[in-house]
Amino acid sequence: MPGHVPNNKISSLEPDGLQDADVFEITDFTTATDWERFIARLEEVLHEWNLINHAPLPPSPKGELSSDKWKEKTDTVNFANFMFDITYKYLNRDDIDLHSNDQRSSPEEEDDGDSEDQLPTVMADLMSLDNDFPAKAHCLCRWYGLQEFVVIAPSNQSDPILSESRTKILLSSVSIALHNAGCAVPIFVQVQQFWRQMFTGTCVLSGSAIDFDVIHLKSIPSPYNHLAGLLDVFKAKIATHVVPRPTVTVAVRFTYILTDWVNSPWPQEPPDLSSPMEDEIGCSSFKSLPFGACEDPVSELQLACTWPSLSEDMIVENQNYSDLDPMHAPQWSVRIIMTEDPNCLLGKYLTEFLRCCNRKETTNELLWNVLSNQDSSDQTGDIGQALSRLTDPKLAHQLPAINQTGDIGQALSRLTDPKLAYQLPAISNVVYTANNQTGDIGQALSRLTDPKLAYQLPAISSVVNTASSRLALKPGQAPISQEALNEIVFYVFPDAQDKFKSSNDDDGSKETTELDKKYKVILDELPKQLKSAPVDSLLHRLAVCLNVVYMNHGGMKGVAQLWQEFVLEMRYRWENKHQIIGVEGGAPNLGACLLYQKLQMLNCCIERKIKREQIYKGYTGESLETPDSDSGCLATDKQLANHNKMSKSDSLTTSFSKENLTCNSDNSEQQNRDAKHNCDSLTEELPAKIVHLDSSSEDEEFFECDEESMDEDSSRSNTKQLTHIDSVDTTSSSEAPFHDSITHKPEGRQCRHGDLLLLHVDEPLYIPLTQEPSPMTEDMLEEHAEVLAKLGTSSEGAQLRARMQSACLVSDMESFKAANPGCVLEDFVRWYSPRDWIVDDDDVIDDNVDDNKDDLKQIKGYLSSRMQIPGNVWVEAWNGARPVPARRQKRLFDDTKEAEKVLHFLASMKPGDVIRNLLSVLVHSAIITIVENEDSDIPKLTEMVQQLVTMASKVTRTPHQDIKRYEDLIRRIAFVETLIARARSLKDKFTTDLIDRPDCFDEMQKFVCDMLHYPEVSVRGGPSGPAGSVIHKLFVAAQKELYMISDSDSSSNTEHQSTVPDFPRPSAREYILRTTAPRPAPYSKTLPHKMYCSLMEGHEFRLAGAFSSDSVFQ
Amino acid sequence: MASANDSKWQKDAADQNFDYMFKLLIIGNSSVGKTSFLFRYADDSFTSAFVSTVGIDFKVKTVFRQDKRVKLQIWDTAGQERYRTITTAYYRGAMGFILMYDVTNEESFNAVMDWCTQIKTYSWDNAQVVLVGNKCDLEDERVVSTERGKQLADQLGLEFFETSAKENINVKAVFERLVDIICDKMSESLDSDPTLINSQTKGTRLTENANTQQGGCQC
Repeated sequence: MPGHVPNNKISSLEPDGLQDADVFEITDFTTATDWERFIARLEEVLHEWNLINHAPLPPSPKGELSSDKWKEKTDTVNFANFMFDITYKYLNRDDIDLHSNDQRSSPEEEDDGDSEDQLPTVMADLMSLDNDFPAKAHCLCRWYGLQEFVVIAPSNQSDPILSESRTKILLSSVSIALHNAGCAVPIFVQVQQFWRQMFTGTCVLSGSAIDFDVIHLKSIPSPYNHLAGLLDVFKAKIATHVVPRPTVTVAVRFTYILTDWVNSPWPQEPPDLSSPMEDEIGCSSFKSLPFGACEDPVSELQLACTWPSLSEDMIVENQNYSDLDPMHAPQWSVRIIMTEDPNCLLGKYLTEFLRCCNRKETTNELLWNVLSNQDSSDQTGDIGQALSRLTDPKLAHQLPAINQTGDIGQALSRLTDPKLAYQLPAISNVVYTANNQTGDIGQALSRLTDPKLAYQLPAISSVVNTASSRLALKPGQAPISQEALNEIVFYVFPDAQDKFKSSNDDDGSKETTELDKKYKVILDELPKQLKSAPVDSLLHRLAVCLNVVYMNHGGMKGVAQLWQEFVLEMRYRWENKHQIIGVEGGAPNLGACLLYQKLQMLNCCIERKIKREQIYKGYTGESLETPDSDSGCLATDKQLANHNKMSKSDSLTTSFSKENLTCNSDNSEQQNRDAKHNCDSLTEELPAKIVHLDSSSEDEEFFECDEESMDEDSSRSNTKQLTHIDSVDTTSSSEAPFHDSITHKPEGRQCRHGDLLLLHVDEPLYIPLTQEPSPMTEDMLEEHAEVLAKLGTSSEGAQLRARMQSACLVSDMESFKAANPGCVLEDFVRWYSPRDWIVDDDDVIDDNVDDNKDDLKQIKGYLSSRMQIPGNVWVEAWNGARPVPARRQKRLFDDTKEAEKVLHFLASMKPGDVIRNLLSVLVHSAIITIVENEDSDIPKLTEMVQQLVTMASKVTRTPHQDIKRYEDLIRRIAFVETLIARARSLKDKFTTDLIDRPDCFDEMQKFVCDMLHYPEVSVRGGPSGPAGSVIHKLFVAAQKELYMISDSDSSSNTEHQSTVPDFPRPSAREYILRTTAPRPAPYSKTLPHKMYCSLMEGHEFRLAGAFSSDSVFQ
Repeated sequence: MASANDSKWQKDAADQNFDYMFKLLIIGNSSVGKTSFLFRYADDSFTSAFVSTVGIDFKVKTVFRQDKRVKLQIWDTAGQERYRTITTAYYRGAMGFILMYDVTNEESFNAVMDWCTQIKTYSWDNAQVVLVGNKCDLEDERVVSTERGKQLADQLGLEFFETSAKENINVKAVFERLVDIICDKMSESLDSDPTLINSQTKGTRLTENANTQQGGCQC
């Protein structure tokens, strides 16, 4: 900035300068008029933004102008009561750090000679050749190459500045303000209608000024339709008379547009939009989320041919002749214009679905008008009336509705016969089919009364589903058609269709094996990352079906209907003890979504119920004695067969007695051989020793352990054992402080605990069969934790908490007492918390010396001090525990209650809630869909998918499902989908068969990839490069197509009559003219001038000029 | 200090009397000194014998960290095998773990690996873990050397401390460190969030499209 900074410094030292500064800082008698106030305010803003006395910046590096490092500051200024927005836009120069900026300015002040060389920022920008034709930038930046500028525009866009005089006033105000402030940043005033993008501006430098102005016309005046004409304008404007005339440098860019993709018309494979709506319903339609764009996501290709820097003498373009042949342009670059909204299906489905998760309607509210006409009395639950209707053949067709409205039918049947309750759905189905097909209601009723028939229906559950809904809704008005519903049900519950066919599973596995390896890790990790549900689980299927149903089968009503079906099916499965397929067994996985946990819980309940009932019904038939009898039951052949399988299984035993297990597996072979024998002999000899079944735990495990213990027993001498038992009654009574259990027979033994013997009784220590802790879903857990937390941190609270949680401890103690008559707390602790039993060092005895009975008896030790604290929970619990085997204890886990709780939870969910709860699963599905469809080798996409997963894992794990974050997430999913669709489309367009040389394949791939990433991609090698030749071919093909169709039109086009040109006429031509010349007088300083010209065929003609003038030597 | 909070605890949460709440879990074999450790930290008291914890118990302490009030809800767990299923259920909500062994007990040290696996299985992957060898005051009875503890911690990628609840060695340091790691992790993920948003506008063409279309060739 030659002289500018020093000048200012000097002036500020002078009294006048001081006065100036004071004026706007203090006040105000000079700011009397609106105009003066406007100027003062402008200066204030310039000061605020610190635009004063800038050290000049070098021009921005190449390509920076189209980066996203642009920043802006905005404020408002009033002229009288007319409001303007004033905006400072600038490129954030992170390539120059501010400190070096300061350093640079200081030596300049010392050494004026140096700073003379440095052009002011504006001028350097104007003349920099690096930043012509930025790919994407503000128009002022595009025209003048500026890296910082201020724009003043009316705040109200509908009130533009139209009159010349107002423009002049504004400009002169700006000029004064700039002068006063000593600001070298150009300021532009937006005039005329906004869409015209007319800016007139000024920049005040020391000793010179630059005027910026724009000419904007609708059509191109023919004298200026070429470079020659434009040069004339430029030179005339400079109007310099120096000789020799300074030469003008020219940069030219022609843009050609390609919209006809002859080789690859869209769509290649029409996405299945309509098929689910039509009669023939493709199986696939419910099974997966749709993917892909409905419209071509790539709408046009713009080829920009650039001649970067030429002397005006080197090229000729006038009315008759042009040197500017695109095939000879040194630089080619390409930009792809994407379709604004290519209507991507996955994103659309998810977005629409998400929109409904806040809907508050209940299922009934949604379905009321499609339910068959029912008197309100039915809805109020008048069972009597319902009953009478049931028996009235005329009204039989309304029966289903009874079922529907609040499950009255079910309630009814439960009232009349609880045992038959679970058969009802099936019955109603029978009623329906009969009614529908034969109309003979009598027959239906007779079927109704025949429970056997209902039993025999093969796939009860599925038929029930379809039947009940069909029954419930007015014919033809159900949101989901019968056919579709059947299909959905068979898909969601594959076991309903055919329990022995598992074709669906095969499909799934095939898909995963075909998947690209690069996503394997992502896919494998996905279930752990997201809080959703395992892949291909019931919930995944349901979520996808609900979404498809929502989009294609009646919206929310369809969702409501399907959800109701689902809930009915869940109840049916509970009542009929069918495990829910597609849901992992075991305790709820707290890493999965709540809904999935609930289903797991329900499955747990069903499992327990089955076991419970097996024990009371099934096993009595098989075993020789009833399990209730205290004498125990026999190990049957079946149990022995189980043994082999189970002996190596990772059972609960592991944790309690590793020693035992190793011994077990070592001996397992021998054991197998001997097992039966042992068993037989033992049952003969030692009926009392054999542990019998426990009701609440896994039977197989116990059998294993039974045999194990038996085996151990038998490996000792049987006779010895017998004497042991005899001695129990006699000896222990005197020694044991524990009275109530002495005489009872041992019950509920699982296995021996190593070689430990009871302390006071000469009897091995047995690990009892115990109740398993009840499974919990996260909401239960939370509730539980909250209750515990509410008790506070006091010691009383802690005690209460301990007591509250001691149910399990007490249960274990009772089991232990039952299994070990004559035991004491010490014995229990030795098993349960071995570190609280401190063995006296002197008496450490080799436990393996089991033939020396006396030694074993001598083991001495004591409870740890914490166990000896008087009145502690352990002692308390021990004293209160009665010897009760686990199977006769109160259940820790009430499966009936828990199942009902789950079912109630499901039934009370509104369809909106269902959607919200399934969002995470749906997102999971969507990501899988994306990964399955992402076959482009674009690194960026892989990265984005990874980011998507990270984001999804965060969103899905948030305890309270935040819809806003889901919106973001789904927007992102949609975005990735769009990108993939674009990549596909581009890949199709730049197909490999267009490439001349196979070795360029990689380069083309990179080129396609770049086109997706960057707004503008330069074509390596220009027209002669591999990509260039493909683009050339594309244009040629499109031209041929065009001319074949419009042969008659070509006659008007005289230039192209003989041959079809390779390229269409350029749709835009841009010229940048630059020179340095003294202005306004020949003796003025030589200053830079620039004119940007944009000629768009049939669109606009625009000249934007920046002309400097010497303000000293005029 | 504890009893005063009883009724207020719930209210505090609602009152937003803190900026963050971290849920921490102390795990490790039975009788390695988890409860003592917690009492030392929360109440600055030590008793040689606390009743063996049944299920889970907890204490609350509020600390200041980088000008933020951080409320620590520290859950103390029962170490007995039998309680594993019950306690692991609480892992999912925990942001940090103090995995404790007893330097005088080899078995408790050997179990560290198992506990670590449990954490991996049952907690979210961003939970932070500190390995603590407790009872370091009992030098005479020590069977696990500091080096071995350190080595294992390195191997598992955990921070490591040797502590004594009895002599109040390093107790505070463990909690402070854990809180720090959690804070760091949190700000890290906060930092990474904007980049996620940024990258949405940066590397993508969707937003750019709008610009190119209005400011593209037309001018």
